[in-house]
Amino acid sequence: MLAYAIRRLLISIPIIIISTFIVFLLVTYSGDPLANLRVKQPIPPPQVFAKYRHQFRLDQPVLERYWHWITGVVHGDFGPSVEGGGTLNIGHELGHRLIVSARLVVAAMVIAAILAVVVGVVSAMKQYSIPDYAFTFTGFLFLSMPLFWFAVLLKEGAIWLNRNAGTSLATIGDSSPTVGAGTWAHFTDAVNHLVLPTIALAMTSYAAWSRFNRASMLEVLSSDYIRLARAKGLSRRRVLVRHALRTALIPFVTVTALDMAAILGATIITERVFQWRGMGTFLLDGITNLDVYVVLAWLLVAALVVIIFNLIADLLYGVLDPRIRYE
Amino acid sequence: MTASTGVSTSRNNSDGRSNDDALLLVDNLSVGFPTEDGVVHAVRGVSYTLRPREVLGIVGESGSGKSVTSMAVMGLLPKSAQVSGSVRFRNDELLGLSESALAKFRGEHLAMIFQDPMSSLNPVYTVGWQIAEALRAHHDMSKDAAMTRAVELLTTVGIPRAKERANNYPHEFSGGMRQRAVIAIAMANDPDVIIADEPTTALDVTVQAQVLDTLTTARHETGAAMVLITHDLGVVAGQADRVLVMYAGKPVEIGSVDDIFYTPRMPYTLGLLGSLPRLDAGDAERLTPIVGSPPSLINLPPGCPFAPRCPIRQPICDVEEPELRPTTSATHVAACHFSEQLEGKSPADLFQTSVADDVLPEDAGESEQQDRVVRGEETAEQVPGGGQS
Repeated sequence: MLAYAIRRLLISIPIIIISTFIVFLLVTYSGDPLANLRVKQPIPPPQVFAKYRHQFRLDQPVLERYWHWITGVVHGDFGPSVEGGGTLNIGHELGHRLIVSARLVVAAMVIAAILAVVVGVVSAMKQYSIPDYAFTFTGFLFLSMPLFWFAVLLKEGAIWLNRNAGTSLATIGDSSPTVGAGTWAHFTDAVNHLVLPTIALAMTSYAAWSRFNRASMLEVLSSDYIRLARAKGLSRRRVLVRHALRTALIPFVTVTALDMAAILGATIITERVFQWRGMGTFLLDGITNLDVYVVLAWLLVAALVVIIFNLIADLLYGVLDPRIRYE
Repeated sequence: MTASTGVSTSRNNSDGRSNDDALLLVDNLSVGFPTEDGVVHAVRGVSYTLRPREVLGIVGESGSGKSVTSMAVMGLLPKSAQVSGSVRFRNDELLGLSESALAKFRGEHLAMIFQDPMSSLNPVYTVGWQIAEALRAHHDMSKDAAMTRAVELLTTVGIPRAKERANNYPHEFSGGMRQRAVIAIAMANDPDVIIADEPTTALDVTVQAQVLDTLTTARHETGAAMVLITHDLGVVAGQADRVLVMYAGKPVEIGSVDDIFYTPRMPYTLGLLGSLPRLDAGDAERLTPIVGSPPSLINLPPGCPFAPRCPIRQPICDVEEPELRPTTSATHVAACHFSEQLEGKSPADLFQTSVADDVLPEDAGESEQQDRVVRGEETAEQVPGGGQS
């Protein structure tokens, strides 16, 4: 198992290198970083262009530029940014925004997974009952609602509530600029700001996952070994938890890991709606400003997250399913 | 509908035997499955008694309701199934009991072995763990004690190096070994009745005999009575004391093994015997197939369900479905209007040896040649590479 984990980790390295190279090429050939400069009136003198070309390493061949970038990244230098006249440290900014976004993603994923498992089990056990129909309806409701719309709906609803019911739900930003001293005040402020975006992000994943868990649970419940477990005279609870749920959850691990990429995409939209200064906004601003190295930094992080989650899923599989051997 | 629970214990069951010492008493058991096309009447009134240490064989082709009957006895049918009649274990009515009340009977008094050993065991737990779990479900014992007993049980069912093997997962066992493990689970709590639902059907022919021996061991070790469901008449002949032949959801003949094999009184039974290859028969005897297929169990027409395939069919057969009636003795019952006509008849007297469905007419010559090979008419020299075998 340990040998497999190490081998699997080593295989990840070439995958990361290849993915960074592809990402770099895609960004390089997707547009002209100086386009914003060219449309300026009056047109800046050629020296300005030359300065920028040099600053963004556009005077180097592509392969050299890639090498320059990737070795920089290894040393913590993510390349120059247009922001702040080129003074912005992308690595520093990235670290801060990563923490902000991770808060949201982790909270949403944990809530979505717990809800999806509970609802999946209840739906499967009481198939075609009123709770099952209710969960099926809400599941498909959230599945068919586009996230950008649902998030706006939540936000507007909260604003309406704040105005009419006297609540103080945070609808903008990841934290208040003016918050009292003390860890507790900071914590409650952060939680308050988390509520709405977490609901928005969790519900989209929950909808798909609960349907998946319901189907997986139904399949296991009708299997021969569940019948044998019942024939052994085990209690209903034991059959359900130790035999059915334990096996039904194995494929869920893959689904969660594969959905990680989709959740990263959904985070961009959620952060935009709630105006968080997280990873999502970082990418959108980078694209708007043609800030090549910001976009590259985001894509690099996204690729790493997806690779790490797949690695975790692979390792978890070995723990959960004895049929899978890594020798 | 459990109105028939009022059966007084001295009344005779429909198989012609008194119920006085019955261990398991199934009375007029019916099962229907609602589907979009209508209710499928999978079991239409099955009654039998099982006495201590007795082996009852239930035979019939696929879809005759053999498995559904035993699932209904164990209470393992899906909730949508409509079950009526009565299933009594000693003095307790089992039909209509809650899942938790049934759990006290399952494993402890009534154990079951299923058809497919490949999928009967949970893939994520070790074999030993799963046997120990069955023990701990009914007995207050420590995990270590249960595991020790599990290893003993594995040894009893003939698993070599049981102590190591107990820590294996089901996928590390062969099909035959898995079925032995399932038998060990069934034996675990010394049940009074073991229901074996086609225990050898999914297994390799070479393993079947070993698993049947293991079943016999299980029976002797636990002293349990057994319901052995199979479509293999050979298995029944070797194992059972009594035989119940099912067709279209109903018993059509019940009797001792000798009754069924030597004096069958229902054309279907005779047809089954005629389609059984026998090594002891002379080489001139051919197998006699039963032409056609069983009827759909939705909207079954009136009359005997076997009538469309029956060689001695009369007009009354299409009108009235025969009841089980005593034939050669009070305990040998058959459901046929003309059972006395079968006296002294062999399958070849009633059934045609050729396939009347007119399939494969162009292969006739070839199959005749194969017949000669089978009958040993061709000399060994004519077979390529022959003479060595």
